[in-house]
Amino acid sequence: MHEKKLTIFVGNLGSGKTEIALNFALFLVKQGYPTTIVDLDIINPYFRTRMVRHVLEHMGLKVVCPRGELANADLPSLSPAIQSVLEDSFDYGVFDVGGDEIGATILGRYKTFLLKDSYALYYVINQCRPFTRDKASIIKNIHFIEKSARLKITGLVSNTNLGWATDIETIFKGHEVVKTVAAELDLPVAFLSIRRDLMLQVSMRLNEDIFLLPLEIFMQPPWYYGITDPLLKIPQTAKEIPR
Amino acid sequence: MAKVLMKGNEAFGEGAIRAGCRFYFGYPITPQSELAHFLAKRMPEVGGTFLQAESELASINMVFGAAGAGARVMTSSSGPGISLMQEGISFIACAELPCVIVNIMRGGPGLGNIAPVQSDYFQATRGGGHGDYRLIVLAPSSVQEIIDLVWEAFVLAEKYLNPILMLGDGLLGQMMEPVELDEEKEFFIPLRPWAASGRMGGPKRIINTLYIVPEEAEKHNFKLNQKYKEIEVKEQRWENYQTKDAQLVLVAFGTAARVCKGVVDYCREQGLPVGLIRPITLWPFPDKAFDYILSLGTVRYFLSVEMSTGQMIEDIRLAVDGRRPVHFYGRFGGMLPVLTDVVKEVKKLLLKEEP
Repeated sequence: MHEKKLTIFVGNLGSGKTEIALNFALFLVKQGYPTTIVDLDIINPYFRTRMVRHVLEHMGLKVVCPRGELANADLPSLSPAIQSVLEDSFDYGVFDVGGDEIGATILGRYKTFLLKDSYALYYVINQCRPFTRDKASIIKNIHFIEKSARLKITGLVSNTNLGWATDIETIFKGHEVVKTVAAELDLPVAFLSIRRDLMLQVSMRLNEDIFLLPLEIFMQPPWYYGITDPLLKIPQTAKEIPR
Repeated sequence: MAKVLMKGNEAFGEGAIRAGCRFYFGYPITPQSELAHFLAKRMPEVGGTFLQAESELASINMVFGAAGAGARVMTSSSGPGISLMQEGISFIACAELPCVIVNIMRGGPGLGNIAPVQSDYFQATRGGGHGDYRLIVLAPSSVQEIIDLVWEAFVLAEKYLNPILMLGDGLLGQMMEPVELDEEKEFFIPLRPWAASGRMGGPKRIINTLYIVPEEAEKHNFKLNQKYKEIEVKEQRWENYQTKDAQLVLVAFGTAARVCKGVVDYCREQGLPVGLIRPITLWPFPDKAFDYILSLGTVRYFLSVEMSTGQMIEDIRLAVDGRRPVHFYGRFGGMLPVLTDVVKEVKKLLLKEEP
């Protein structure tokens, strides 16, 4: 599942990259791998990794993101610490890249550090988002992103959801579309990500061998606090939220 | 019927497309840029025109031109950009042309920051530009409501031949929620006898904002005022939430209303009789909602919850007209009211509890 030291998540705006990058990085931490998450999002002004930095650090994850005043800006500022994650031969690195081809442009900057086969570049798909509703439009978007990232996608992440309104039918319907894209492009579906409370229902109905990544939802508007995991009941740290 | 997951900013764009808007002129600014980003992709799909202007001044004057030629047209920005548009908005209101303007508010004054606030309330409801004019101001509080109200906005714009301002904050623009998209309703663009789109052998069609003779200017102002009076009577919109036996009624719109709904639910669980009035039109302000609740006789206090230092509270006081005390709780500069803090304020008033 995580044979590569560097895992990079790209995808269209609002496909769920940030939630997946956070949960995937925390999954690595739980497996005992020293892991750093890198906030490479130069697109979103609000729901970004930096918003929950303290919670993540508390959970044992190292976080590279703009700090201090810059954390609240919409500037494309990149920390020099990013390079050290790419060059480090010990730590695992998880990269949360901004949305669409515009967000993916940032990867071109690090192309020289991303040697062939040294990284996994996953394209996250939520089939319920406006511009990725069917196979043809998803493939079109994959090509746009590959072109501006100057890198080839190595796998897909199946992340179809409607936020709090997600039901099992929605997940399976979306997953079928993702599989047709995978077949057409000859790419693996790296994993299927599902909100933790829906895991049991999905795994009972699923009859294929695929890794399931359970998701805790971190990026919530403030009136949702306390509905998900008690660990995230954070109106205290939420003083930083939302930026 | 399809369910999709959308950002608030995208919903303004999709709502406009569904309402038959085929022209958008705008200029990027955080936290509303996704609206322009969305329409840049979506407009060409329906044969519409997306154009990024060189500034907000240019955008609003392109809107003026397109509306004058009979197009269904929209622009959007955030506070600083909306300030730049004020001259154009005043001109459009004077010329009585329909258009929709979206303001996704960010921290101010000045350059401020990119965090969510509601401090452009005065600018929106008092007419930020010069002269005696009014904008109908719509304030959605969920992504679904954005889709529904954009349709409504274009209907109102063309019914009253007046610009409509849709007011949201950065959080509403950025957050994602599931929305039901109906089968696309057929939209209808009625004949536009006022549009400067060619005489066709008829009388001259002139769009004018210059009334150099005071007698004529007075006549025009009188006509506009009659229209605004009619809107004040006919177009007040609001939502009552648990107000029936409420002794304390919160008043909040947009994002603050989302927080306040949680407050009402929490207080009700604790046996505290709390309700919420959520204005949907900020101008005309829903005075009728207050008359109705006061006629029930149970309410003792009003508490205005705003993401500003207190702007809507002035309209609440005018509506309540001294019949009950109106209190205020606000967070500003991009900070949000949180449930526990609002509950503290509620208890202070209802139980005379000191924190």
